[in-house]
Amino acid sequence: MTIQQDHDARVVLLPTSRSIARPLIAWWEENSERRIGLSFIAPAILFLVLFVVFPVFEVFRLSMYVIDFTTDEERFVGIANYLRIFQDPRMGVIAWNTAIWTVFSLIGQFALGLAAALCINQNLPGMKVIRTILLLPYVVPVIVLALFWRWLLDGSFGVVSAMLQSVAVLPPNQSPLAMPDGAMVSVILANIWRGFPFVMISYWAALQAIPQEQYEAAAVDGASTWQQFRYVTLPHLTEVSKVMLILRFIWTITFFDIIWLISRGGPGSATEHWPIWIYQEAMGYFRFGTAAALGVILAGVMILVSAALITAFRRKDAR
Amino acid sequence: MAPTLLSRIATYAVAALLVGFIGFPLFWMVISSLKPASELFVYPPSLLPSRISFEWYQSLWAESDALTLFKNSLIIGLSTTVICLAIGTSAAYALTRFDFPGKGLFMLGALLSYVFPAVVLFVSVFMIVNAIGLTGTLFGVILCHCILTFPFALWMLKSFFESIPRELDEAAWVDGASYLLTFTHIFLPLALPGIFSVAVFVFVLSWNEFLFASVLLTSGSMKTIPVGIAEFITSFDVRWGQIMAIGTLATLPVVVMFLFVQRFFLRGVISGAIKG
Repeated sequence: MTIQQDHDARVVLLPTSRSIARPLIAWWEENSERRIGLSFIAPAILFLVLFVVFPVFEVFRLSMYVIDFTTDEERFVGIANYLRIFQDPRMGVIAWNTAIWTVFSLIGQFALGLAAALCINQNLPGMKVIRTILLLPYVVPVIVLALFWRWLLDGSFGVVSAMLQSVAVLPPNQSPLAMPDGAMVSVILANIWRGFPFVMISYWAALQAIPQEQYEAAAVDGASTWQQFRYVTLPHLTEVSKVMLILRFIWTITFFDIIWLISRGGPGSATEHWPIWIYQEAMGYFRFGTAAALGVILAGVMILVSAALITAFRRKDAR
Repeated sequence: MAPTLLSRIATYAVAALLVGFIGFPLFWMVISSLKPASELFVYPPSLLPSRISFEWYQSLWAESDALTLFKNSLIIGLSTTVICLAIGTSAAYALTRFDFPGKGLFMLGALLSYVFPAVVLFVSVFMIVNAIGLTGTLFGVILCHCILTFPFALWMLKSFFESIPRELDEAAWVDGASYLLTFTHIFLPLALPGIFSVAVFVFVLSWNEFLFASVLLTSGSMKTIPVGIAEFITSFDVRWGQIMAIGTLATLPVVVMFLFVQRFFLRGVISGAIKG
């Protein structure tokens, strides 16, 4: 929208309805900045309302309906979908799996991410190349990760399975993916592989922001390397840790692809977690109402835990 | 802090373990795709092939519809990038240059939608795409990928744009340039590197996306790379050589693109553009 067009608008408006038009024109010209700003952002607002805000309401609504997928018929059932979920014998197992998956993925990602960040933050030869290699999982497609994970763990020809078999951790020709606990460990390791670069690079950014003088001052005061880490480095990492913990928690508890593509939730239901359940209800049984209710419950847990974390951080700060 | 010898050794030791953990699976995929069949299936596996063989790539070319998969992924990825960046750039420009009512609310909404996970909205987005008749079309997937990437793109673009001095725009306005002219002739050239690196990330996200592509595209000629490869492993006859070859081919473009924009990516991380 150009200024030239604005002049045209006035020319057209003026002679027809002078008395009403004048304050309007005044508003139009006084608020040109707001107007232009709004016109630049209008497509984005439209997009977010239609395809993000509306789906959020829709998932709530659908969770109280039974939907016949062949006829698109919807029948209101109230909280029946929710009751059915809580009466499902699988719920306990799946909730437990979800907790294990989330907690151990996060522990692994944060531990490796911090270690890696401390390494690449050192001003040593070769660290730039190492940084690039460690960032690669950020862009490797999850499906490809799933492929080579399964290949490494293949019972007959997988190199990792072969190593585990040679030290008798695994029986011959056995894949960890065929054992309930082995499958869970495998998918969690895959998720650590994929998620830790994000933690690493965020910690690295925080480390880069620490003024060098603080280390020098600490060294002058006779602080050991450990003390410098404990009293200079760690305090600078608390803020980014809090933000990252919440983000990683949300993205881990809801991450579907890795488990689905590596183990499909198996063997049995050993690696079935909440997102897999949503997928199975929707695409396996076409029970979209139940799947929507599962989504709402997951979002609820996500919001509650995040709120609890934020409150805990606040309380600690207040002390 | 001058690192002592001990801390240097410790640093390299930890780095070597991490590089092994991250690098070995990738290395093994590439090596496996280059091993002749006689060496791929031996027990225990050999670390390096005795000779490099391209037979898996050849059989992939001859027997599978890999080319169609790449074409579909490219179309979807590029369309998603263009749509997402067109809406995102102008919105981020408005957010960093203008004041208007509801700006705070919009920012909050954008942040929440960035955090909000796809799998929660999976059912309703699927139903909506189905209701407007886009199931089984490339455009349906493009729309879903825009939904997934837009909040992320907007957030990154906004942070990049904040680092471009506002005074330049204001000088152009004072000189009588229109808002649109300022945007296209003053602002965009300066913002282009940032926009380009965000574009790469949007493309990579779309290229890698599995969930929506798999439920929306069931016909053979429409499948994307992740959907197509996923069927390779579920089929009864598991052809590891071909699978490792197509895995390598699917990873190569995104890794190369990432290497190109790594510098901007790291700068973005430092300035807080990539949250988390």
